[in-house]
Amino acid sequence: MTDYQHSPTTAAVLRSLVPVICPPEAHALADAIVAHVALTLGASPPLVRAGLAAGLATYDLGALPRYRRRARHLGPEAAERYFASWERGPTPLHVQLAHAINQLVSLACYEQPEMMERVGYRPGPWIEEVRRTRLTVHGDAARRQEAQILAPDPLRPGARVRPERAARGKEPA
Amino acid sequence: MTAAARAAARPALHEGARPPGVHTRHDVHGDAVLDADVVVVGSGAGGATLAAELAEAGFDVVLLEEGPYYQTRDFTADTSAMVRQLYRDGGATLALGSPPVMYQEGRAVGGSTVINGGMSWRTPDKVLARWEREAGLAGIARALEPCFERVERRIHVAPMDDAAIGTDNRLLKRGADALGWSVIGNLRNQSHCVGSNRCAFGCPTGAKQSALVSYVPRALAFGARIYADVRVDRIMRHGKRATGVIGTVAGSGHRIAVRAKLVALACGAIHTPALLARSGFRSPSGRIGHNLSMHPNVKVVAIFDESVANWRGAHQAFQVRQFQEQGLVFAAIGMPPSVLAMSFPHRGAALGRLMDQYDHMLLAGMLCEDTTTGRVRTIDGRPQAFYQLAPADAANLQRGVSLLSELLFAAGARRILLPFHGAADLSSADDARRLLDRPIEPRGWEVVTVHMMGTAAMGKDRSRAVTDGFGFVHDADRLMVADASLFPTPIGVNPMETIMALATRNAGHVIDHARRFLS
Repeated sequence: MTDYQHSPTTAAVLRSLVPVICPPEAHALADAIVAHVALTLGASPPLVRAGLAAGLATYDLGALPRYRRRARHLGPEAAERYFASWERGPTPLHVQLAHAINQLVSLACYEQPEMMERVGYRPGPWIEEVRRTRLTVHGDAARRQEAQILAPDPLRPGARVRPERAARGKEPA
Repeated sequence: MTAAARAAARPALHEGARPPGVHTRHDVHGDAVLDADVVVVGSGAGGATLAAELAEAGFDVVLLEEGPYYQTRDFTADTSAMVRQLYRDGGATLALGSPPVMYQEGRAVGGSTVINGGMSWRTPDKVLARWEREAGLAGIARALEPCFERVERRIHVAPMDDAAIGTDNRLLKRGADALGWSVIGNLRNQSHCVGSNRCAFGCPTGAKQSALVSYVPRALAFGARIYADVRVDRIMRHGKRATGVIGTVAGSGHRIAVRAKLVALACGAIHTPALLARSGFRSPSGRIGHNLSMHPNVKVVAIFDESVANWRGAHQAFQVRQFQEQGLVFAAIGMPPSVLAMSFPHRGAALGRLMDQYDHMLLAGMLCEDTTTGRVRTIDGRPQAFYQLAPADAANLQRGVSLLSELLFAAGARRILLPFHGAADLSSADDARRLLDRPIEPRGWEVVTVHMMGTAAMGKDRSRAVTDGFGFVHDADRLMVADASLFPTPIGVNPMETIMALATRNAGHVIDHARRFLS
């Protein structure tokens, strides 16, 4: 992972795409969504980051001939039409970029706590509940398994290359 | 204090302070040279198993891992943080082809066992028979039998507790039962899994017996040393003899050299051939990096009237085996909403309407035993996988989507979304059957995998195989492989247990010939 930060262009274009890709109830979370995309890209290979940045810059400028303004400045209807035109073509590269942007922004959108709550996804309390269950109901069995992991069990009976090293294992509790 | 409270208060084995023997980038303050009997590169299913077996026998083992060292307490409900921390390249790894295949690898101590579903199946008999026949691995089926038993004991392979099975898996079983199809309880490496359904993001309860909580602690207990955050750049060599490895510590850039009498590579089927190639090792077969199998996988999403809550309950509690002979296995896979949202072509208000039904969604996927192979090329020292889905496998996957959809309708689904770009949703079993009426251009499919195999395949004939029957690289000395690269063919089931069993067997070979390797 790196301390990746969006360039101003990348951030602005991504922000303009939030209303195009995310449902209306997520539009107020645009800054958080764009910030989350940065986290994802920070973990991605450098080539992917560079490719996406170049693609977003091209997407931004590509609106000029048709709309006389950059994509980031388009109104809602024009922004929708322009993104849809990339989803349909004109080349496989356009389609792949639109697809990748859709994936990144959708992922970031539904990683927001408000959106997870909206769809009923509450893993934190669930994990706590089942973790407690395991320790209380199955604690003894879990500890037996932990003990057997450390118990000596030579692969070849009597095969100890250096007995003083091999004797380090612990007997089962 | 009640017994229950004591149990709750007692930390699990892997929790608390970092155990002695684990070194991270914070412990390395300059360039270092280490000496060991054996250096193992990679701490996943193969590397951790090999390290533990050899350490128990008395070998001085150093285990190197590119990723960080995490403990169970580090695994949280934050899905994207877990993906960024535990997956190589944040999960954004692609095998190039049409369609491209997205694949995932673990990158942490414990390797991919930290992020896999924990399915633990022995290599099918027909596969081992094929290895004996085609790769000249005489007697491997018999030799692996005790190794499977040993591995299953160590990682606690068992069917799921009934209470941990969630609605999504019960629906999958209901559909299979309604059609009279074979469905079996999944065997998984778990000790009283309680269904947190976070297998793919690091088990937060410690129930999944990944290498992180099984073979790694065992290796440490027998004196192995682990260095996390170390990416191995190349294998040191003297002629054809491997003499150690050199790696770089993440963050600081310090160099670590490990001089060893035996070098074992367990970096997975993508990175093992790359490490061999950039270290200048050549195979007489010319097959390093070839023979890449991937078990391509596609998924469908079914929407039910009833609540499914796919995130509550054990991951893949059942497998539908009705079509295993035709290379298809089906399972239900719970995933967080973000992962589902990114798999849909929908956006805007349409995405919102769809995702509002998340609680009613069941995600099901299939494993396809592939009939073609791809290749890992090493470009500027880094691996790049190339894989072109074969027409026969594409047809099999399409058939699988049709059959799986039929099963889900039999379970009560009212709508099914397909993994084909632009494809209309299905609303009945007839729709599902009609999917077979015409071929669907694979270019627009979403294909994923977590099973990469075969790129340093075992075989008796050095003109056709990269490694011998015990994983030693042909035409090299003291250099062995201990991961899924060894598989001569795809195996048609989840590969973890096969990797561990092979590592166990090959460790036995090293122990039996210790004098040779320690000289």
